[in-house]
Amino acid sequence: MKLKRTVLYDCHVECGGRIVDFAGWEMPVQYATGILQEHLATRKGAGLFEVSHMGRFEIRGGGAEAFLRDCLTHDARHLPVGFAHYTLLANERGGAIDDAFLYRFTADTRLLVVNASNAEKDWSHLKELAGAFSEVELKDVSGEVAMIALQGPCSEAMLADLLEEGCLPEPKRNALGQVRIAGAEVKIGRTGYTGEPVCFELFIPAESAGGIWTLLVEKGARPVGLGARDTLRLEASLPLYGHEYGTDPAGEEIPILACPTAKFGVDLSDPDRRFVGREAIEKQTQGIEKMIRPVRVTGKGLARAGAAVFYEGKPAGWLTSGTMVPYWEAEGEGTGRKLTERTGQRAIGLALVDSGPVAGAAVEIEVRGRRVAAEIVKKNLDNRSGPVTFAVL
Amino acid sequence: MIDQEARYLKSHEWAKKEDDEAFAVGLSSYAIDQLGDIVFMELPKKGDTFEQGAVFGVVESVKAASDLYMPLSGEIVEVNQAAADNPDVLKDDPYEEGWLIKIRASKPAEFDELLDAKEYKHFLETEAE
Repeated sequence: MKLKRTVLYDCHVECGGRIVDFAGWEMPVQYATGILQEHLATRKGAGLFEVSHMGRFEIRGGGAEAFLRDCLTHDARHLPVGFAHYTLLANERGGAIDDAFLYRFTADTRLLVVNASNAEKDWSHLKELAGAFSEVELKDVSGEVAMIALQGPCSEAMLADLLEEGCLPEPKRNALGQVRIAGAEVKIGRTGYTGEPVCFELFIPAESAGGIWTLLVEKGARPVGLGARDTLRLEASLPLYGHEYGTDPAGEEIPILACPTAKFGVDLSDPDRRFVGREAIEKQTQGIEKMIRPVRVTGKGLARAGAAVFYEGKPAGWLTSGTMVPYWEAEGEGTGRKLTERTGQRAIGLALVDSGPVAGAAVEIEVRGRRVAAEIVKKNLDNRSGPVTFAVL
Repeated sequence: MIDQEARYLKSHEWAKKEDDEAFAVGLSSYAIDQLGDIVFMELPKKGDTFEQGAVFGVVESVKAASDLYMPLSGEIVEVNQAAADNPDVLKDDPYEEGWLIKIRASKPAEFDELLDAKEYKHFLETEAE
């Protein structure tokens, strides 16, 4: 099958991007300076990511809300105009077909952003469910709207500099706004997939995306490829479909609520709302055998997805994601805490493990036939206070 | 960049003759570039012996782990601990400072079977992924 190219393909090549096949798209896995530098640049400055390969579906019409309430785990009725929320497409078994973000830029237009690897499957699923509703217009706008993410403590100043009209969304997580940049109408959400508290995703008419990308690079934003996108989300313990959602290494479906992030995307508050997977998810609220937990490797080396995890000498689950990530060393305490010029590396991961052992529990991870010491932790990144995040060491 | 003195495996390890039976072994600059940032290496211990083509260690980038293969059968006589501790050395100087192991070859004639610089260059241009 011929690989697809996003509208910014030439920009990636020009920036030294190393192009790989990702879910049928030719995308940059990294640029010249490499994954580690891109990760660090995002945490201290601003990282620039093209994410146009993701699926973008517009939902309009009088029946849109009823339709979305039926097919998504979060309650679309609870999404006010000017905000986005995390949500999932569940199956009847309470597993994930995909996870997604639903944006409501205006009262009557909603945009669902889904994973590139699942876009076709999601589209068929939504199309099928939409058949039961009247007045639902479902449109795939992935080709006409480009999407880039600008993430990190310096991103707000860079973006503010480029505004010709309008203002940035209010500084609240998931707030939306519309502005004009370089003559183009750009929709902006304070959303992202890096764990950065200062974060933006831009929806740009395809023909204007290249110009805005270049402007942001000139402002000092560092192009970041899929490699560092993965290490950044991993450090922030954010799930990835195919790893923390989908099937586990034993081939069993992972229950949605095994992933702590999922609780932000599941709304059971209206008992009268029926949605696909609701019964199974309600059962999951009674307790789940295995949970997704952040881990850090305390022994030598690193561990990757699929590695077996042992607790008190017995098999307890698997690593679902894992690698070595870089970090900035910090100094000072409390509000005086700041990043230094020194960097380090640490092996971290996410694991699907028996719900018994909690943060602080010592575990072992099997790497090439050897067991390496590791620990279940609360989190690997402290991003609560902002605008800068700190590695939890 | 290809070192003219070295001989190569298609899996991108190089060997350089230092003495009749003594060889240095490392990873070609092509392979190092393809791996991206190297974040961890596992190298054998002094005294370990391996056959030609056997896995003697692992080099890990952020994205993947790659096995390291012995270009010649022999015994490990020295391990470059400095490179293991600071893999950046491989990127900076893959054919000198960035050597990985030194071996005493049990079948030194195996060296002649390896790809020479010209053959390795041709391999990279035509076949390598």
